[in-house]
Amino acid sequence: MKTILVIAEHRRNELRPVTLELISAAQELRQADDKVVVAVIGSKAEAYTSALSVTGVDEIVTVKTASEEFDPDLFEAAVSALVENRKPSVVLMAHSVDTLGYAATLAKKGNFGFATDVFKVEYDGAELVATRAGYNQKVNVEIDFPGRECVLLAIRGSVYKQAEGATSPTVSALDLGSATSRGKNLQFVEAGGADDVDITGVDFIVSIGRGIAEENNVETFRELADTVGATLCCSRPIADAGWLPKSRQVGQSGKVVGACKLYVAMGISGSIQHMAGMKHVPTIVAVNTDPNASIFTIAKYGIVADIFEIEEEMRAQLG
Amino acid sequence: MKSGKKLSLSLNPSLKRLPHDMTAQALVSVALRSGDLYHATAVYEVADSVARVALDTILFEGRRDALTLARWEHTPAVVLQALVRLSDASVRQRVQRNLRTSGQTLAELYRTENSDALMTLIAQHRNTPAIVLESMAHESDSDEVLKAVAGNPSASATVLRILRARFPERFDAAIATHAAASPDLLEAVYETGNDYVRAAVVAHPACRRHLLTQAALSGNPLVLRQLAGNPRITAKLLARLARSRTLAVRRAVAGNAVLTPELVIALAGDESVGVRREIALRGDLPLSVLEKFARDDDHWVRQRAARNPATPVALLRELAGEENAEVRRAVARNPACPAELLEQLAHDDNGWVRAAVAYQPKAGAKLMKILATDHAVDVLSGVAANPRAPQALLRQLAQSGEADVRRGVILNPRASDTVLKSLLKDPYYLHRVLLVGNRTLKDEDKWPLLNDPDASVRFTAMRWFAGKVKAG
Ligand SMILES: Cc1cc2nc3c(=O)[nH]c(=O)nc-3n(C[C@H](O)[C@H](O)[C@H](O)COP(=O)(O)OP(=O)(O)OC[C@H]3O[C@@H](n4cnc5c(N)ncnc54)[C@H](O)[C@@H]3O)c2cc1C
Repeated sequence: MKTILVIAEHRRNELRPVTLELISAAQELRQADDKVVVAVIGSKAEAYTSALSVTGVDEIVTVKTASEEFDPDLFEAAVSALVENRKPSVVLMAHSVDTLGYAATLAKKGNFGFATDVFKVEYDGAELVATRAGYNQKVNVEIDFPGRECVLLAIRGSVYKQAEGATSPTVSALDLGSATSRGKNLQFVEAGGADDVDITGVDFIVSIGRGIAEENNVETFRELADTVGATLCCSRPIADAGWLPKSRQVGQSGKVVGACKLYVAMGISGSIQHMAGMKHVPTIVAVNTDPNASIFTIAKYGIVADIFEIEEEMRAQLG
Repeated sequence: MKSGKKLSLSLNPSLKRLPHDMTAQALVSVALRSGDLYHATAVYEVADSVARVALDTILFEGRRDALTLARWEHTPAVVLQALVRLSDASVRQRVQRNLRTSGQTLAELYRTENSDALMTLIAQHRNTPAIVLESMAHESDSDEVLKAVAGNPSASATVLRILRARFPERFDAAIATHAAASPDLLEAVYETGNDYVRAAVVAHPACRRHLLTQAALSGNPLVLRQLAGNPRITAKLLARLARSRTLAVRRAVAGNAVLTPELVIALAGDESVGVRREIALRGDLPLSVLEKFARDDDHWVRQRAARNPATPVALLRELAGEENAEVRRAVARNPACPAELLEQLAHDDNGWVRAAVAYQPKAGAKLMKILATDHAVDVLSGVAANPRAPQALLRQLAQSGEADVRRGVILNPRASDTVLKSLLKDPYYLHRVLLVGNRTLKDEDKWPLLNDPDASVRFTAMRWFAGKVKAG
């Protein structure tokens, strides 16, 4: 019997959705009598136990720390203690800004196997195999961890479905002892822009580029995106002009829309830098008046047409 | 927060100082001395034939470099033309796809290529001369090639005529939407076309008026919709279409540039929000309509009224107190928004509303100072890009840890030479690329960028100097 340890992630008193995805990943990975243990670390750790009591969880371990905010030193100490105590063969954590702060050190110190940004994990016989992308998403790399008793995997968000269904796992607590942190939490500052949408987690995007010509036209496409249930994103010139928030910019200096399944590019030429953020999307629809626009090289469906006409046509179809 | 690690440049001694006499030869010798592929690429255009032979040794020494340049989106047309001479099939194919390839190179390639796949690439290229497309239209039998010819924006009326003469109806859909289609060809296409083709014809600026009248009898909503959007339609016809029971047709009427004031008012009262939203986008709304729209149930309609420069201040004040943040933002983006409202909105709870004030060219130095203490990147970027921001603020923002904010300073048309100079070693290469093209910065300060670790910065810098030589 092996143990799969899942490290819950929370921020500002809310469980982050990726935690439920990690539980799903653990569910898919578990074999026969394996046990899935979810650990939650923080000053109010026990407050999350009911949200974590979902199908597939056998046990919840709370680890109390002095602060509710994330602290890399305390998390490192807590996960290290958990590994020591529960001897998991696999630890699943989110590939996030939090784990960036401690996972690599933890892996090095504990001599664990380690891979980040993993989007698939399975057993090949007795061998654990994690898959992540390489060369700017151009190839998939399979990684195995021969000789490692414990493997830490930072799992990419929005790949696994969120675990559902209620269950009643056992709940226990682990004492962290006298772990200390080198840092001090002064204030929580929400990162980034004036907009609250995380475009890396959405699955349907309508994206606009310089083809929209004027700021007033942004609203037209915002309305269209709202109507079809998509999130409106953009290329860099639109964000640089202040027409859409920086958090909506897709590309090399913007965001990679990791969870997107359908991307409709309107009046975007398809520069290398823009494509860096979206070329992995399985269904790309591009609308551009220029048949030579580079965006057509990666589009599944290309429409050589005026974006305003297509927008009008879509609205006519939608009634 | 201070910006990330600054770039450290170890200068090539020959690039330390701007040469006194900036000539093509001086630049070529810099390129030859550095042996840099990107210097050589950038200077090629201004080099004479002897110098080009010397530069060729850098450009075409390795096949990998040739392949890279053939595909690179910035490779100048003259270099692409030179690459074609390498007689390397993969290089040629990349040149054919490259958007910068000139008409002359494409014409040369057309004379030597014979595979349909490569011919299609030439037929698709927007720089392919009409005369080459004409020859293809006459001679090719490949459906792919002919389709590409018909859809090429460079195809002339003659090319389209040849296609229709050779293959009646086969390319009618492409012809009906082609900007170069002549009135007679459009008429011929209309006669035989299906409803989709007819709809495209009646939307075409060259469509004959009598066809517009004829199309009004069509029962097809798509045809009627396209007709309703055509600015050459008569007022009488437009009035008739404004009464259509099809929403999409009325909406198209509402967007028609030549709507009479009576029709504007009539459609402003339309029961459908779609029509009102469309009308609300117009710049010619009378006061009565703006008043009505400012209190419309639909927030998109109110938002558009809030952005309209003709909306009276009293209404803007009302809209600035709205619950919907996008409406408040629209007030802040209104070019006629008064200072008092901008000040109110600069303290809005919503960062995206404050960002609208930060980008507003009417917001003065006082507001800029307030907003420069904001924590939202969008707000700070707006201040950084605002021509009204005082230089002292720009100096401070140029030190921001957020690349977007520093970029705002670089894009600010009023940023001083001193402020911009402080960004020349910005860790983000895009910023250094942008600084090369800045007109405030002096050439002597840009010169060291020829030695930048990033290839695109070196290329842009050399292009900048070569451009100066070319302009004399
Ligand atoms: C280091 C670096 C980082 C960068 N990071 C990013 C990034 O993260 N994201 C990003 O997007 N860019 C980024 N860029 C900028 C990038 O190089 C391009 O300049 C940018 O992506 C172009 O945006 P665009 O496609 O909207 O505009 P354009 O390239 O100007 O394209 C506009 C397109 O609209 C089409 N069009 C015009 N009118 C119409 C119409 N009515 N109907 C249909 N089509 C129409 C045109 O044919 C054209 O293809 C970066 C650049 C650098 C150097």
